[in-house]
Amino acid sequence: MQILDDYINKVKSLPPAPRLLPQLLRLLNEDDVDAGQVVDLITYDPGLTAKLLQRCNSAALGLSSPVHELSQAVAILGFNKIYRLVAVVIGEGMLGNAQHGYGIDSGELWEHSATTAIAAKVIAERLGADEDLAFTAALLHDIGKVVLNGFLEGAYEPVLEQTGASGKSFVETEKTILGVEHSEVGGRVLARWHFPENLVQAVWHHHDPAEACPHQQLAGYVYLADLVAHCLGQAQGIQSFAVRGRPEVLEMLEITPREIERFILQTSAAVEEAHGVIPIHP
Amino acid sequence: MPSPCLNEIAGIENKLIVQIGCLAVSNHPKALLTTYSLGSCLGVAIYDPVARAGGLLHAMLPDSSINPARAAERPGMFVDTGVAALFRACYQLRADKRRLRICLAGGAQFMDKTNFFNIGLRNYQQCKDILRQHGLPIAAEQVGGWVSRTIQLNIKTGEVRLKTSGQTSELVL
Repeated sequence: MQILDDYINKVKSLPPAPRLLPQLLRLLNEDDVDAGQVVDLITYDPGLTAKLLQRCNSAALGLSSPVHELSQAVAILGFNKIYRLVAVVIGEGMLGNAQHGYGIDSGELWEHSATTAIAAKVIAERLGADEDLAFTAALLHDIGKVVLNGFLEGAYEPVLEQTGASGKSFVETEKTILGVEHSEVGGRVLARWHFPENLVQAVWHHHDPAEACPHQQLAGYVYLADLVAHCLGQAQGIQSFAVRGRPEVLEMLEITPREIERFILQTSAAVEEAHGVIPIHP
Repeated sequence: MPSPCLNEIAGIENKLIVQIGCLAVSNHPKALLTTYSLGSCLGVAIYDPVARAGGLLHAMLPDSSINPARAAERPGMFVDTGVAALFRACYQLRADKRRLRICLAGGAQFMDKTNFFNIGLRNYQQCKDILRQHGLPIAAEQVGGWVSRTIQLNIKTGEVRLKTSGQTSELVL
């Protein structure tokens, strides 16, 4: 744990904690969601509110007339859609930069994360799970890369040499070089940001969901969604496919390999549909 | 007759980006067909140096039987329907099957001994099977591995350039 905190403490440009997301998630899980409370929480951040209204009024959402107040938007679009829009606006701010240590250019980590989030929603919907939770975990699954990026910048050659051909996955190489993996750092970041334990575990173990006890299911959605995003071409960077296949995840979620192809197709359609609201450039 | 819509697009724009699940063909001498982010997806570039016509496909999944309706709308999504559509469109530009130079790129694989997750491998095998059935040789290929790739087909020269994500050097196939 100390080594994770050491890395996190050394980073100068860690994004501000997205406190709003766990707060909103908690509210959404209540039986009787208080619209006023949701609106109050969001409008506390005027910059975010402005961006949110802009997204609500984008042509892609197809509202019959523009909305000017957040309360209107909540009434028309519903809590869940508003929540996901908030997550997208916040996520884009946190994940938009280039991560050269990983060979990732500007915008690419964001597009990978957003595609993974959409895939996780598709998977959770199909498997009857909480879509917003899966969406959030998947959106933030690679936040640890933002922390470790600077420390990997000088290590391009060893990463390239050690990953893949020698049998090591990318995160195993990370562990050898840095002593930590981006997934565990990401989980630790979310814990420090007071995200609920299920999200922390799902991000922490998104490369090996069986370890995410007792939140293996959620971690499994994120794991599969990550692979789906890879298969949709949203996986830039050095040796980005050096990810271990985990057949036990299919068993745990009770799905067949063929189902993965369906998830890929459905996610590709959902990404096209979301285009304009969630900026992804396929 | 050339395929009017695709050829016209390429005629107006020198650089044409082939999106995931799509294909494009051209015989316009200034056309550069590019497709980005080939991970497990398979890129197929074909070119006839006599007709100076060629095309590029970015197929996502091996087999259209999973969703025939989607394949009818967008044949380029699947290797089986995409390869067929790509060749047909090039024949309309007077390309000859026997002269076509075929290059493959993409088909990146996960580290998965079970191959449950290896869409990339299945995409590649499907394409190889189809080409073999038609007696068509592969001139060059950069497939498999753990990387994401970008390829570009130059319609004037037939040159296929390949770039690997996270690396700066380019390769000519």
